[in-house]
Amino acid sequence: MRTSSEENRMSDVVIRAEALGKRYRISHRRERRADGSPYDSSPKHEDFWALRDVSFEVKQGEALGIIGRNGAGKSTLLKLLSRITEPTEGRARIRGRVASLLEVGTGFHPELTGRENVYLNGSILGMSKAEIRKKFDEIVSFAEIAQFLDTPVKRYSSGMYVRLAFSVAAHVEPEILVVDEVLAVGDVAFQRKCMDYMKRLARNGITIILVSHDLFAVKTMCRRVLALSAGRLKFDGLPAEGIDLYEKDSRLEADPWAAGIIGEDIDQWPIIIRFVELLDADGSPRTVYDYGERMRVRIHYESRKPVRHPNFYLGIRRPDNVVCCSYSAARDGVTVPSLDGSGVIELLTPPLRLVSDLYSTYAGVWDREFKNLYCGQIGPNFHVRDEVLNQHFGVFHVPGEWRWGVNGHKNVGQTLVRPAAGAD
Amino acid sequence: MQEQTIIPTKAESERFDLLIEAGRGAKNYWRDLWRYRELFYFLAWRDILVRYKQTAIGIAWALVRPFLTMLVFTFIFSRVAKLPAPGSVPYALLVFAAMLPWQFFSTALSEASNSLIGNSNLISKVYFPRLIVPAGSVITSFVDFLITLGLMAGMMVWYGFLPDWRLLTLPLFMALAFGSAFGAGLWLCALNVRYRDFRYIVPFIVQFGLYLSPVGFSSNIVPEGMRLIYALNPMVGVIDGFRWALLRGQSPLAGYALIASILVTSVLCLSGIWYFRRTEKTFADII
Repeated sequence: MRTSSEENRMSDVVIRAEALGKRYRISHRRERRADGSPYDSSPKHEDFWALRDVSFEVKQGEALGIIGRNGAGKSTLLKLLSRITEPTEGRARIRGRVASLLEVGTGFHPELTGRENVYLNGSILGMSKAEIRKKFDEIVSFAEIAQFLDTPVKRYSSGMYVRLAFSVAAHVEPEILVVDEVLAVGDVAFQRKCMDYMKRLARNGITIILVSHDLFAVKTMCRRVLALSAGRLKFDGLPAEGIDLYEKDSRLEADPWAAGIIGEDIDQWPIIIRFVELLDADGSPRTVYDYGERMRVRIHYESRKPVRHPNFYLGIRRPDNVVCCSYSAARDGVTVPSLDGSGVIELLTPPLRLVSDLYSTYAGVWDREFKNLYCGQIGPNFHVRDEVLNQHFGVFHVPGEWRWGVNGHKNVGQTLVRPAAGAD
Repeated sequence: MQEQTIIPTKAESERFDLLIEAGRGAKNYWRDLWRYRELFYFLAWRDILVRYKQTAIGIAWALVRPFLTMLVFTFIFSRVAKLPAPGSVPYALLVFAAMLPWQFFSTALSEASNSLIGNSNLISKVYFPRLIVPAGSVITSFVDFLITLGLMAGMMVWYGFLPDWRLLTLPLFMALAFGSAFGAGLWLCALNVRYRDFRYIVPFIVQFGLYLSPVGFSSNIVPEGMRLIYALNPMVGVIDGFRWALLRGQSPLAGYALIASILVTSVLCLSGIWYFRRTEKTFADII
């Protein structure tokens, strides 16, 4: 039950976006002409609308989630609202101080200590020196980095970095807090802490706009979501419905590679993937996995005509489109003569050895011999998290077996699992 | 999906304190600049703190650098080129009085020109009045300048050559040096965002400017007919002014040079702010 004064406050609109649009102009390199003349004389420009005709209102104290696939315009929208770039058309009206956290530790200087960076980052986010001094202890204790306060942040782990960065931004005491996909890097306990903190802010009348791939987080944090697709607002309403729509939006998309083989029109395919669920080993939905965790994938399919020797596959791609690994049912000895109707097939992966990054999935159906492709679609994204392992370690990291040879020592060539205690 | 038509009444639009719209270069700009005033300080503080991290002699570089340059200049221009010094002024002081503003101008100009690009992660991820970035680098260079000014004082004591009342006019010339570095810096940093060519042009301007300014020589060796054109370089008025103010007026300051310097600096500053404000909205998109 809300009191009437609270009701009043809640009905105050603090953001009103009217037909917001942002156009980017992409220039292409001039291409060599076929007739041998060196260059086409006219430069080629292409207009690209990252966002178009987006209108919505946000009320004070609302926690609004923004979801959508990569390139749907989420980040552009946040950049417009935080005044980093200006819209090409439309307008937005805002009441109150906006603090935005679009990237982890923006403005952090690696050479400076944690203490120095709190002051620097705080002032970049619009706090006065007096405010920072007042909040300093709170910021540090929230970030749990007290003992590293005088260490340069270049020596911080990515987890510590995120904690400090989030902590500074959260203590700006904005009236509107804008948070882009930044929490995925921190550990689970800290993520929960941030979520709780944001919920508390929202209860105190602070408006929160959250962009996340973590649909679970959006569902728990937000009472309302906007779903964007290709720069347009597709949905504005309850999280459960919006997330459903988002999942539908993502499950329907054909993998461009597969579309090149079997045609763009998904409706003509003999079988389609209705959606792909990413779960943990125990079967609860997940979007973030720790390195070494197993992933349970449920592929929901629907066939329109009988498919012979269906061979389901699931592939994992890095953001730069490198295929990191894939699983095939037939390779693993699972195949049936024919398949008709709808159903679900489940895959439990071995422990994930991928390095920390954002990954996208794609799923589809080959025949047993990998000769005919029946379907191929893009599935959901997920993160793998590890404090140390990143792309510098390669695509995968699999522990190796080491042997230590010290010249003149009789034990050369013995496998050392770890230095034996007290062996000296 | 809900369709809503929003017709804001006047009273309603007044409830909002920020309007984001194409072409509307925020009427709150100057107010924001004031609200973010401490960021000037923090960015300058960061630059100073970072500059001398992991150097063995630290902040001493701020003294050593201009001192060594002064030694080289004194040697080249008085021993090798044999240019005469006016009056009873020690040649080293003559050179050093000019080195002060020139060193400030050249570092401020180079740092300001690269400041936006160097802070591109900030520009594309947070909002604040962008003017703070180049202004911050000019301020940082100004701190170096003040340190070097202390060095100058020490040298004057060493040579037993103390300034007279003209010293009181020094702030005017300092302001001129600051203004011309800031104005030119604004132009160059804004241009640099779009055309990275300026990264290569600026060092050239600085190098060339050294020979176009009376740093290693005195202005009276410039041929009579060329002096007016020569004075269009705003640093001519500034450098002659520094010498005049510090060296008891023994080095002449021509009135036309001072006026030209004031005019050129004003034009640079005003047009710099105009151009910067006009282009800064697109910085985040093209940087």
